[in-house]
Amino acid sequence: MTTPNPLLHVQDLSVVYRAGEGAIHAVQDVTLSLERGRSLGLVGESGSGKSTVAAAILRLLPENARITSGSIVFDGTDLAELSDRNLDRLWRWRQLAIVFQRSLSALSPVHRVGHQLDDVLKLREPGLTEAQRQERIVGILRAVRLPDRVLRAYPFELSGGMMQRTMIALALLCTPPFLILDEATTALDVITQAEILREMERLRAEFELTTLVISHDVGVINAIADSVAVMYAGQLMEVAPKERFFSAPAHPYSKALIASVPRLRGQSGRLTGIPGTLPELHNPPPGCRFAPRCPHAMPRCSAAPPPLYQIAPRHTVRCVLYDQHPEQRP
Amino acid sequence: MGRYLGRQLLTIIPTLFLSIVINFALLHLAPGDPARIYAGQDIATEAQIEATRRALGLDDPLPVQFLRYLKELAQGNLGISFAYRRPVLDLILDRMPATLLLTGTSAVIAFVGGALLGAAAGRRTMSRLDLSLSFLSYTFFAIPAFWLGLLLILIFASKLGWFPTSGMRDVRAGYTGWRAWLDVAHHMVLPTLTLVLVQMPIFYRITRASVVQQQREDYVTTFRATGMPHGRIFRRYAMRNALLPTVTVFGLSLGFVVTGAALVEIVFAWPGIGRLTLDAVFRRDYPLLLGIYLLLAVTVSLAILLTDIVYAALDPRIRLR
Amino acid sequence: MNEALAVPLPAARRRGRARAAWRAYAASRSGVIGLVMLAVIAAAALLAPALAPSDPFALGAARFLRPGAEGHPLGTDHLGRDVLSQILYGARLSLTIGFVAAGIAAVVGIVVGSIAGYFGGWVDVILSRITDMFLIIPAFFLIIVVVATLGNGIIYVMVVIGLTSWPTNARLMRAQVLTLRERTFVQALVALGESRSRILLRHIVPNGIQPIIANSTLQIASAILIEAGLSFLGLGDPNKASWGRMINDERASIMTAWWPSVFPGIAILVTVLAFYLIGDGLAQALSPRERQSGT
Repeated sequence: MTTPNPLLHVQDLSVVYRAGEGAIHAVQDVTLSLERGRSLGLVGESGSGKSTVAAAILRLLPENARITSGSIVFDGTDLAELSDRNLDRLWRWRQLAIVFQRSLSALSPVHRVGHQLDDVLKLREPGLTEAQRQERIVGILRAVRLPDRVLRAYPFELSGGMMQRTMIALALLCTPPFLILDEATTALDVITQAEILREMERLRAEFELTTLVISHDVGVINAIADSVAVMYAGQLMEVAPKERFFSAPAHPYSKALIASVPRLRGQSGRLTGIPGTLPELHNPPPGCRFAPRCPHAMPRCSAAPPPLYQIAPRHTVRCVLYDQHPEQRP
Repeated sequence: MGRYLGRQLLTIIPTLFLSIVINFALLHLAPGDPARIYAGQDIATEAQIEATRRALGLDDPLPVQFLRYLKELAQGNLGISFAYRRPVLDLILDRMPATLLLTGTSAVIAFVGGALLGAAAGRRTMSRLDLSLSFLSYTFFAIPAFWLGLLLILIFASKLGWFPTSGMRDVRAGYTGWRAWLDVAHHMVLPTLTLVLVQMPIFYRITRASVVQQQREDYVTTFRATGMPHGRIFRRYAMRNALLPTVTVFGLSLGFVVTGAALVEIVFAWPGIGRLTLDAVFRRDYPLLLGIYLLLAVTVSLAILLTDIVYAALDPRIRLR
Repeated sequence: MNEALAVPLPAARRRGRARAAWRAYAASRSGVIGLVMLAVIAAAALLAPALAPSDPFALGAARFLRPGAEGHPLGTDHLGRDVLSQILYGARLSLTIGFVAAGIAAVVGIVVGSIAGYFGGWVDVILSRITDMFLIIPAFFLIIVVVATLGNGIIYVMVVIGLTSWPTNARLMRAQVLTLRERTFVQALVALGESRSRILLRHIVPNGIQPIIANSTLQIASAILIEAGLSFLGLGDPNKASWGRMINDERASIMTAWWPSVFPGIAILVTVLAFYLIGDGLAQALSPRERQSGT
């Protein structure tokens, strides 16, 4: 399923980690499409491979990881084909940026925040004068609603929320069209998280961003994504517009995921988990990787990975339960 | 910053005091009768010895002697050497420049060299450079400095004749001016090399470990995502973070610059405080020995204080919390 | 398994853990090499009476015999004493001083550190101040001073070295105790009514002792080097064969006869290196992160 002229199209991406004697197949044949100006939420539990997809797109994979197949086409260019130098100079930060999960050392602890922001801007836009850089930085700080004094502060002096806003400001420095948020709100308390998510919505409109939002929290996805893609154990299971995803999830795993979120209102019921455990990714099951835990599993599920079936406009699901539909995978 | 330093002083001052007390205690526990020694062991009569004892106040009760000791210390009086019959402080100040020249130079070279090599190894772990340097660092750290000095003398001075075997100057040549300095430098090579070789490993290991740890920090990933080249990330950010532990160790090692390297000075007959120490030990010249020890306690405390100041200046997390 | 609920292990599980630790240690190349080296040195020390060609103090007429001479594989020194015998017996002194001094430092450090960490409050403040003070005292010189003034018997040397090196152990132990104190299994024991000292002695200390063990190998190495320096200065026990003393005795004649000065130095180097390597192996075995980047 491809939308016409997507900003980013990832096709059949596979990533393998070398670990000790074996190999971990962290991502297998993942296909994603991001329309300009829209937000795609990539959801899955820990170990689903979603952060690996982000790292692969930005070529930030660790030494022992390799992209074994697939293409990453950004605005017409296959990023995988670019040299490191070109990717650094022309694409990084100016076209693609990322905000990571909050960490104590996301910036150098012994240098002031302003110095580091200025350094990155100087690196990526050497044509600007110091005054112009300062103007841009202050402007972005205003946009993310941070006070100017943040510039003279050290990272440890900032609260969690302020630190994340700073990282968002850093990401927007070169006004890139595409932004990845990788568990950007996970380490924040719920109140701050809600604030940041609201800010992101506003910034998305203001900067005309296309975003890929990665989270294990379906609530976050619900808050700021237009479409949802579900990953499990390295495989893509379902892609759907948000409303359809939450009202009529197709894949058994998606249903279980949504059902497992505890409700604050309504009837009190039991917490529903998903029985079973993640598969070993050294030796992944040959077919659908969810089959061992799936209540609807059939023999053919484990034989080969099911194809993607289109069940509605923009709604695809990798599950043989939907084989009855006349339209097959394009 | 002020509060931080205040806390540090709270530890250092009692420690200094403890060192003074230990000094005083040892002075009095040491065998031998100071009055007899000052009066002249073999020739003085009992009456003269008693007179000396009274004159020096050695028959006063201990607390009185201790207070007097403190007063004298405050005036810079470290006592009179048994063997040389001169004030201890004078003897120490005489020898200090020679020691400082040797230990100061080697400390700086060891620090800079160790840090550079450690950073290079830390950025390329498991490479041949890293593995060979690490093996060498273990080996040199295990070598006793005095033995290494002997070995260097044997090979480079005795067998090859490239350098003098001992001393700080060629006394017979009587050089002046810049030639004299060259002569000193020539004599300095082997002892400095000895000290550098045994001190470099610690700076190397700490820097290497620190650099390896910094490479794993999140800000490195952040800057990589912006396309910043590895070299720039290292030079502008990682190096400063990584150097903090090394600077601490260097600062502490400066405390030993004044009195350290005693064993190496002895091997090379370097006219510094080390030789003085050995003399004091063998002649049981307790005032001199303990004067040197006290000097060491003071310089170590000062070095610690200075290091704390520098560290706080480098690491905002320390001074602003 | 949920770490917070970890309880002291029954004997069988403890054995399994020990075997896993040993396997992790054996995976470290430097650790294995160090252990082998130490085994050889220890064997040499233990079997010295059997291996030594002669009494280390036996003066002989054959002075400065070259290595390889009849009955003197490593030659003789300026008094005709056999070099190999002195080295073998010197191993006894070095190993003894190393283990005893490090042992004293470990015991004192564990006691001070665990009490400071466990009881907290002003006990902690006072003990930590004392620890810091001892850290600042320049140890080597103090040792020289003490040995010069009070006496140079081997007991003095061992005790003084031990009493000046305990602060690092105390700090390590205190940090461990502070973490362990908050663990659920400890709080469970308190709730069950266990006395505080029993908890400290039987549960916290055994679980927190690992960094002290790794640090102790470094301290053994350091004690051996200190003793060598002391003997070199003539401050060691004159009745014992010592590598440091050998170097000092023979350095006047090093130009003509290098072997009585060089071989003891090699012995020191090899022994100290062995302990560094063992310490490396222990560090890699006890903390998985070290394994990836350590050499």
